Amino acid sequence: MALKRTRTALLLLAGWVAVLASFSWYLQKDLVVGTDLRLFLPNPTTAEQRLLLDEIGEGPASRMLVLSLEGADAATLADTSRALAGALAGNPLFRLVTNGEISLDAVPDELLVYRYLLSPTLDHDSFDAAYLHRQLLARARDLSSPAGVILEPLLPSDPTLELLKVLQAWQPLQEPNRLYDVWFDTAGKRALLIAETVAPAFDPDRQRAALEALQQAFHTLDSSGRLRLTISGPGSFSVLMEQRTRAQAQTLGTAATLGMLVLMLVAYRTLGSIILSSLPLASAGLAGLLAVSLLFDAVHGITLAFGFTLIGVAQDYPLHLLSHHRPGQSPLQAVRQLWPTLMTGVASTCIAYATFLFSGVTGLAQLACFTVASLAAAGLTTRFLLPRLISDGGRDFGDSEFLGKLWQRIATLPRPRWAGPALVVVCLAVIVLAPGPMWENDLSNLTPVPRDLLMRDQEVRTQLGTPDLRYLLVVKAPDDETALARLQQLDPRLQELTGSGAITGYNHAARYLPTRDRQTARQQKLPDPATLRNALAQALVDTPFRADVFDPFLRDVERARHLAPLSLDTLRKSPLGAGVDMLLTRHGQEVTALVTLTGVDNVAALHQLADQATPKAVLLDLKAASESLVAEQRTRLLWSLSIAAVLLIGVITLALRRRQRVLRVLSPMALTTLILVAVLHGAGIPMTLFHLIALILAAGLGLDYALFFEHAADDPHDQRRTLHAVLVCAISTLMVFALLALSSLPVLRAIGVTVTLGVISNFVLALLLTRDTP
Amino acid sequence: MTSGIHKPTRQVTATVTDMRTAATTIVAVLAIAMLWAMLWAPLRANATPAAEPVDAATLIRGLAKPPPATIDFIEARFSSLLKQPLLVSGTLGYEGATALDRNVTQPYRETTRIRGGSVRIQREGEPERSFALKRAPELQSLLHAFTALLAGDLAAVERDFQTTVSGNLDAWQISLQPRDARLAKRVSRIRIDGRNDQPRCFAVLEDGKAATIMLLGLVTQFELPQPLTQEWLQRKCVSPWP
Repeated sequence: MALKRTRTALLLLAGWVAVLASFSWYLQKDLVVGTDLRLFLPNPTTAEQRLLLDEIGEGPASRMLVLSLEGADAATLADTSRALAGALAGNPLFRLVTNGEISLDAVPDELLVYRYLLSPTLDHDSFDAAYLHRQLLARARDLSSPAGVILEPLLPSDPTLELLKVLQAWQPLQEPNRLYDVWFDTAGKRALLIAETVAPAFDPDRQRAALEALQQAFHTLDSSGRLRLTISGPGSFSVLMEQRTRAQAQTLGTAATLGMLVLMLVAYRTLGSIILSSLPLASAGLAGLLAVSLLFDAVHGITLAFGFTLIGVAQDYPLHLLSHHRPGQSPLQAVRQLWPTLMTGVASTCIAYATFLFSGVTGLAQLACFTVASLAAAGLTTRFLLPRLISDGGRDFGDSEFLGKLWQRIATLPRPRWAGPALVVVCLAVIVLAPGPMWENDLSNLTPVPRDLLMRDQEVRTQLGTPDLRYLLVVKAPDDETALARLQQLDPRLQELTGSGAITGYNHAARYLPTRDRQTARQQKLPDPATLRNALAQALVDTPFRADVFDPFLRDVERARHLAPLSLDTLRKSPLGAGVDMLLTRHGQEVTALVTLTGVDNVAALHQLADQATPKAVLLDLKAASESLVAEQRTRLLWSLSIAAVLLIGVITLALRRRQRVLRVLSPMALTTLILVAVLHGAGIPMTLFHLIALILAAGLGLDYALFFEHAADDPHDQRRTLHAVLVCAISTLMVFALLALSSLPVLRAIGVTVTLGVISNFVLALLLTRDTP
Repeated sequence: MTSGIHKPTRQVTATVTDMRTAATTIVAVLAIAMLWAMLWAPLRANATPAAEPVDAATLIRGLAKPPPATIDFIEARFSSLLKQPLLVSGTLGYEGATALDRNVTQPYRETTRIRGGSVRIQREGEPERSFALKRAPELQSLLHAFTALLAGDLAAVERDFQTTVSGNLDAWQISLQPRDARLAKRVSRIRIDGRNDQPRCFAVLEDGKAATIMLLGLVTQFELPQPLTQEWLQRKCVSPWP
């Protein structure tokens, strides 16, 4: 069992390690790990699903972080809020950091001249003597009010205050509570800000950079350390979850590794066995990574996590060889004896996984590719490389008295014929009769984010009046102009709905940018220089203003008369364009405009509005779309699984040929799957993608156990060796997954619990069902 | 144009015209009063020379008023945009260190509430406006000076302004120059004139022609000349009142 010390063996070992090292060097350099969750969702088939995926990945809601500051009086919080927004303005990681304060300085000079085209004033008024007179009198009052000092510098060029009207029109319809002019919660205890990151939510690296920038800016401002900054939102959650998963995986992984080392030492009593059994596993992991990185652009983080879970089976291959090896027989002979069984196991599992390649879900295809390459590598290295490294001699587990007695006791266990069918009936009854949903359709229940964090996030969002996360109105158009025109058409109806309380507010791109037509119409209402000069002169007569101070106004109106209408592209480039950018996006030949809604109360009214629009708008229910997507994903997975099952039966039949043997090998795994489904359902746990993956792994393990038990000849020594091998395999797997079952993260726990139960059930059933009753 | 839109305009015009005629009828009276004041002020100053120069700490301590306190005011706003100053009158309410109310009653109604760092302005028939005090450093400096004086707190005044006091108890003047360089560019000086424990004038002098001059307390009984000038108001501030 020890390492062989011959020249060739050592050279081979060195060569193998060198190849593995060079692979890992190459992968280290070239492997791109993706984090876009959409890879694990099926390709969208409906418009709603497509939008959902866009929303998940790039949507405004997914990039929005909500910040709350607390721990001091409102005035201090407001100052800090202002300073924080100021410190982060212009930071390339953020599109926007705002606390709601309107600042006249926020408007860049190049947009200033467009105020006459953007403000709604000219839709219902005109710059005639009467209007200007009214405005000038109002300005006189403004001037002697405390606001005078702020407005005075504006007046010569903007006596009608169009700039303020534009800025006001751009404010959200449902205003959050304000104290000292910045957003606060209703209790006045927390100052609130919104930060929109450039990175999408599922980019933990860039999200982490953004969060660090936020924290750093905050700590610089709060030297006293009295204040508290809370950041929440999809981005911060994804960073938090990544950290937690990583931390737990590390702790559990370390514990599992230590456990494995102890188990190997107890089972094989040599250090060499640890090295020998880890080589095929390392080859498996690297081969899998290499295959995925060659076939796909990026390896998804989830592929890696699931993949390394699934190739736990590969760990078993060298263990079988180590357990079956005995003095008086060369390792090569031992492996030749094992190979038919091992190959059947490897081939059938690989063929089963290969069906995922056609599931239509990129993430699952990656997973299939990874697992097939890994298992093949583990099988082949165990067959062709590993035996050449093992020295002859060592212990024969076939001599073990203890194992012999154990085998005898198991063999004499009663195996009533009715037990199998009865078990099937009970399981089916539980599956059919137990209440509760079979499947988990709600994506939000799949989130590993702790519930209280989600609740707090939701509460702050409600205070801020950020858009509803479930409903969105979607308007499609061939180009920007048409999209804006359609939004403009919808606007009066949306105002009605806001008035009737069906919604509390809405937002869309046309609120910021009127159509070219409307801008041109306003432009045409601007009087020519002579007319305006006359009107102004008349208007000035009995006002306290001097006659010549409004020359800049005359000049600006004249400039505005000759401007080309403001385009979306120009607006996008300005710091004010961030909001518009996300509400109106171009996908190839199509423009998608979103109407975000706040405080949705009457969904039927929104449906009606969407239907009555010409052309029809779509009321997107993101929850429904995500549920249909999850259901679709599951359907595809189940289809893949059914095909995999058929193929598996085919391969096993081909290998074992006799119906009796095929039944013996397949029944433990089939029964176990049934039991697991019944237990999960009976316990009221709706199944998710993660449970399905775990079921597949458990089935793979069960198949291997059954194959080896079934293969064990009637020779008692060989039976003991098989028992030793399968025991070591089962205990090691059990240990790893029982640790996972302790995790606080739902995903890890789901996999851990399912596989743990699966290993136990498979092991027991394989022992009972693969041998005849004596 | 509907008549609905015209109405308020006519009202406003009427008020302004009324004020103008009222003002012109008293021009004659005022002209005489001015002449008298111009002659009398220096005479009087000579006649009763300052008994002793005032001490800043004592003076400012004496100005302290416990909140709440209200006082009548007339405010004249001078600006380079205007051919004649804008006049409003009403009451000022002092509710605490950072709480000040300004109620305009003539020639129209307008309420300003300053609470903490925020200013809210409500004018009849118009939506409320609000802005952060930080955005109007002139106003903020005025408010600082005003509330520090009402608290009788020389140290608070000195923190933001270089303070000089002149005159005597009968007619004193406090001159405040902003220490903050940025603010100093916009507000060259704040000047407060008063007698005994009563401030009478509060003037924020900006660059050039711009200034806000506020007459406090009994001054509302004055008849104002037409045209009203900063010079007249300044003289009024330093001249003895009834």
